[in-house]
Amino acid sequence: MPGRPVRRPAELVLSLGVLALGVFAAVVAFRLPEAGGYARIGPNFMPKVVAGGLVLMGLWLLAEVATGGWRDAVDDDPAVRGEHAFHWPAFAWVSAGLAAQMALIRHGGFVIAAAALFGCVARGFGSTRPARDAALGLVLGLAVYLFFVRLLNVSLPAGWLAPVLGVAGL
Amino acid sequence: MTETLAALAAGFGVALAPVNLLWGFVGVTLGTAIGVLPGVGPALTVAMLLPLTSKLDPTGALIMFAGIYYGAMYGGSTTTILLNTPGESASIATALEGNRMAKRGRAGPALATAAIGSFVAGTIATLLLTLLAPVVVESALKFGPAEYFALMVFAFVTVAAVLGQSTVRGLAMLFLGLLLGLVGIDDQTGQMRFAFGIPELMDGIDVVVLAVGLFAVGEALYVAAYQSRMREAIERLSGSLWMSREDWRRSWPAWLRATAIGFPFGTIPAGGAEIPTFLSYATEKKLSKHPEEFGHGAIEGVAGPEAANNASSTGVLVPLLTLGIPTSATAAILLAAFQSYGLQPGPLLFQTQSSLVWGLIASMYVGNVLLLILNLPLIGVWVQVLKIPRAPLYAGILLFATLGAFSLHQSVVDLVTLYAFGLVGFLMRRFGFPVAPAVIGLILGPLAESQFRRALAISQGDPTVFVTHPISAALLALTALLVVVPWLAKVARERRATAKTGG
Repeated sequence: MPGRPVRRPAELVLSLGVLALGVFAAVVAFRLPEAGGYARIGPNFMPKVVAGGLVLMGLWLLAEVATGGWRDAVDDDPAVRGEHAFHWPAFAWVSAGLAAQMALIRHGGFVIAAAALFGCVARGFGSTRPARDAALGLVLGLAVYLFFVRLLNVSLPAGWLAPVLGVAGL
Repeated sequence: MTETLAALAAGFGVALAPVNLLWGFVGVTLGTAIGVLPGVGPALTVAMLLPLTSKLDPTGALIMFAGIYYGAMYGGSTTTILLNTPGESASIATALEGNRMAKRGRAGPALATAAIGSFVAGTIATLLLTLLAPVVVESALKFGPAEYFALMVFAFVTVAAVLGQSTVRGLAMLFLGLLLGLVGIDDQTGQMRFAFGIPELMDGIDVVVLAVGLFAVGEALYVAAYQSRMREAIERLSGSLWMSREDWRRSWPAWLRATAIGFPFGTIPAGGAEIPTFLSYATEKKLSKHPEEFGHGAIEGVAGPEAANNASSTGVLVPLLTLGIPTSATAAILLAAFQSYGLQPGPLLFQTQSSLVWGLIASMYVGNVLLLILNLPLIGVWVQVLKIPRAPLYAGILLFATLGAFSLHQSVVDLVTLYAFGLVGFLMRRFGFPVAPAVIGLILGPLAESQFRRALAISQGDPTVFVTHPISAALLALTALLVVVPWLAKVARERRATAKTGG
């Protein structure tokens, strides 16, 4: 196997992804109405052009895959890029932090969600002091909450802390 | 000329008003901070702050955003000199020499030549902007929709196809950005496109969600996955900050040459500051009387690229303000900031919002002075900022990033979309897809479409308008040349290579 055998599957999948996005956009674009007016082209013209462009780029990428892999590609070996190997727990912790925030922000409120996000992301970046991180997130979240709600009049959900914030006159 | 001076004088009246001075100060301080911090750039910062525009007066907000934009260029040099990983991509050239100087205990003079060089270049470039803008505005007033469309195509193609590692990956990202820009209601017919009945999509994809997703979430996922377990060494800020007579003698010609290289590159769509910084580095290496020092900490190698970097970032404001054409991701987000106030940068803005535009330009003279003070006597503060560990830094970045996206519509859907764009951003970074064409496509795409349709409406549907108008035809021809010539050269080179190897 010449070239970069490990890399092929990802390049193939991504090339097919670009192509699929283009085909999908084309299907939608061809269902849009004509309605030209003076310009003789309607709201469906640009979508067709863009869909065509994506299809072309998808095919071009596939052609590169078929002829030895993408040209001028990023090196697969993390050491060559000056990085370490893919560290999946870090990736998972950052994702978990964002998911926790999505789950909590409505009912738990902005400040609680911020603390959860902060704790998980810091954990992902190798911090070993979860209590301190969560506390830091809580304080930062509270400061941002007060700044936005009090000074800028942007509303953010108070959530479970509503009674506490209410008693404190915030 | 006298008109320009009068307008600029009025602009100084606006820029020196206490409230605007305060916004300018906030902007350049924030800009320096995010320039220093790895993982946050000016595009991300302005995008995160865009939701605040509804609460702020346009002049103050735009002065602040511009301050963040050029302030980040100053802060970036501190990081590259003291830390071996560049804070922003335009600083890579400085890293070669600046970091070596710091390792040899000459961090002080390296930081000083970067800051003073940035000031000299920033100020001269602002002066050039002042003189050039009215000239460009004058000719741009004659532009019709066909010319604007051709100009936008030119910007799209240079940013996506000509620059960057790969033409096909750049163009793929451009079309992705254009597709995202089509989502929502068509301005001219009210037709709903690519919304699939989802209320959150009907208003279109917000640039805040796209930019913050790609720049903040994507970056955080990438750095966590591939860099979070590595150790970084920060060089000590030792020795005097003062440059010796020798340092000055070697620095000032480099600053001036770099300004001459950087500014023109900024004004054309050349995709940011990378090319001029490397050109300046190569020029200094060639002209230096001490070529043997290059690679071991030559001061010209810091002075030149840092000045080029600042001159080109100011040059980018020429097409942005006078024509409404953004040529970098950050410029595209600045354009979005104007749009959020219902303002469209271009020649008409100089007439209808003269005090805003000239106030903004005048604020840059003031801002560069503030930045020189912030980055020389107060350098110690930024060294402390640089010491913030990565765990709380990225946690904080994501906290503010999600806040920016959430405060748009108070919607969890925006947070989900943000994460989806973050995953896309991760893949783009990993597999070498450029971000700028996607952001520029999203913001400039809808404008290009409306100019295209307006041109055809005027010509009663005759598509030859784009080639019968001389300016439009010239721009389109130039665009075609930019794509075809490098491609032909490459094919010829490959042919020759295979012929030689007998393949």
